[in-house]
Amino acid sequence: MAAVIGLIAGVVFGIFLQPDIPIVLQPYLPIMVVAALDALLGAARSFFERSFSDKVFVISFLSNVITATLLVLLGNQLGVGSQLSTAVIVVLGIRIFSNVSAIRRFIFKG
Amino acid sequence: MARANHEHYEQHGHRELHAAIPRYHRMNTKDKVNDTTDTGSFPIVRRKPPYGPRGNARRARIVSSVLVALLSALLGFGYVAQVRNTESSYESLTEDELVRVLDETSTQVDKLEQRKSELNAQLESIQSAADKQEEAARIAAQNETTNGILSGRLPAEGKGITITVTQGSTHVDASTMFTLIEELRNAGAEVISFNSVRIVTSSYIKDTKSGLNVDGQSAASPYTIKAIGNPEDLQNAIQIAGGVGSRLKVQYNAKVVLKQQESVKIDEVRRSPTYKYAKTVE
Repeated sequence: MAAVIGLIAGVVFGIFLQPDIPIVLQPYLPIMVVAALDALLGAARSFFERSFSDKVFVISFLSNVITATLLVLLGNQLGVGSQLSTAVIVVLGIRIFSNVSAIRRFIFKG
Repeated sequence: MARANHEHYEQHGHRELHAAIPRYHRMNTKDKVNDTTDTGSFPIVRRKPPYGPRGNARRARIVSSVLVALLSALLGFGYVAQVRNTESSYESLTEDELVRVLDETSTQVDKLEQRKSELNAQLESIQSAADKQEEAARIAAQNETTNGILSGRLPAEGKGITITVTQGSTHVDASTMFTLIEELRNAGAEVISFNSVRIVTSSYIKDTKSGLNVDGQSAASPYTIKAIGNPEDLQNAIQIAGGVGSRLKVQYNAKVVLKQQESVKIDEVRRSPTYKYAKTVE
């Protein structure tokens, strides 16, 4: 519930404030968004497994985002930024899919 | 096992108690050691107290909700920001799309160039038309000046001569004066005035009792005729042997004084007539 309210509030803020992303942050924001989405879905899965912990959620959220950003930053510095960001996106996508399938099993019991 | 020992102890008498206590105690400790379930094969699971030592469950839940909401808001905000950013840049387009965009843009540029050259041609033609119009206006202004001088509408100034005819004993008749003016005209006089009357194409001179009448204004001796033109030609036209000058002197006994001047100013003007019948041919 809180997650849904927070999501809506963030989207509304984003629409009304019309933020200008600093140019330094521009290549990292999509990765950060995907990482955060993965953390959120992981939290949803653990909620259904009745093992949700706010501390774990916060830490996984932040560590996901920071790790993804650092990986892309490293890739940029090594000259393989686009490939590494693709790798990060693929891994996070797989995780998102597995999380979603776990949630689906909890909802439909099968 | 330990429980069974205790039951055994209850059944026997009070007397045996003192002697049995240390034994039982030993047995009990041994049993405790023997009864342990820690085999080492399974990890020890330490149960966590549900919500800290205080157990303030409600506050913890609120904090957790706020944290979740905050992070979700962060995610939503980042998502919207990224979506807005992606819409306005070509970064996410594929190569084919970029090529297409480039093609479209260059086509548009070509079209605009074509339009520009068309408009330039139009501008040039309009400018030349404007130049022509300006030329026409200039000629019209020139014509206006010429016609104004010719028709007596404008005052004029220039080289010329001044003739003063002082009447002697005989009356100088109109036809002689008219001949004088005609001679001046033939000699190329551009502007002529007769005693403060501007001579135009429709000018006339007629005799009156006291003197002459020029275009409705009476004139008396001495008559002053001013003419603008080549002074030499004008003087020759009057002073030619047997000309109008000598005729005035001989026939009418009049005194004719001719003066060449560098600047003859003729201020007299004539209002241009309004034509009743004549119209210009377009």
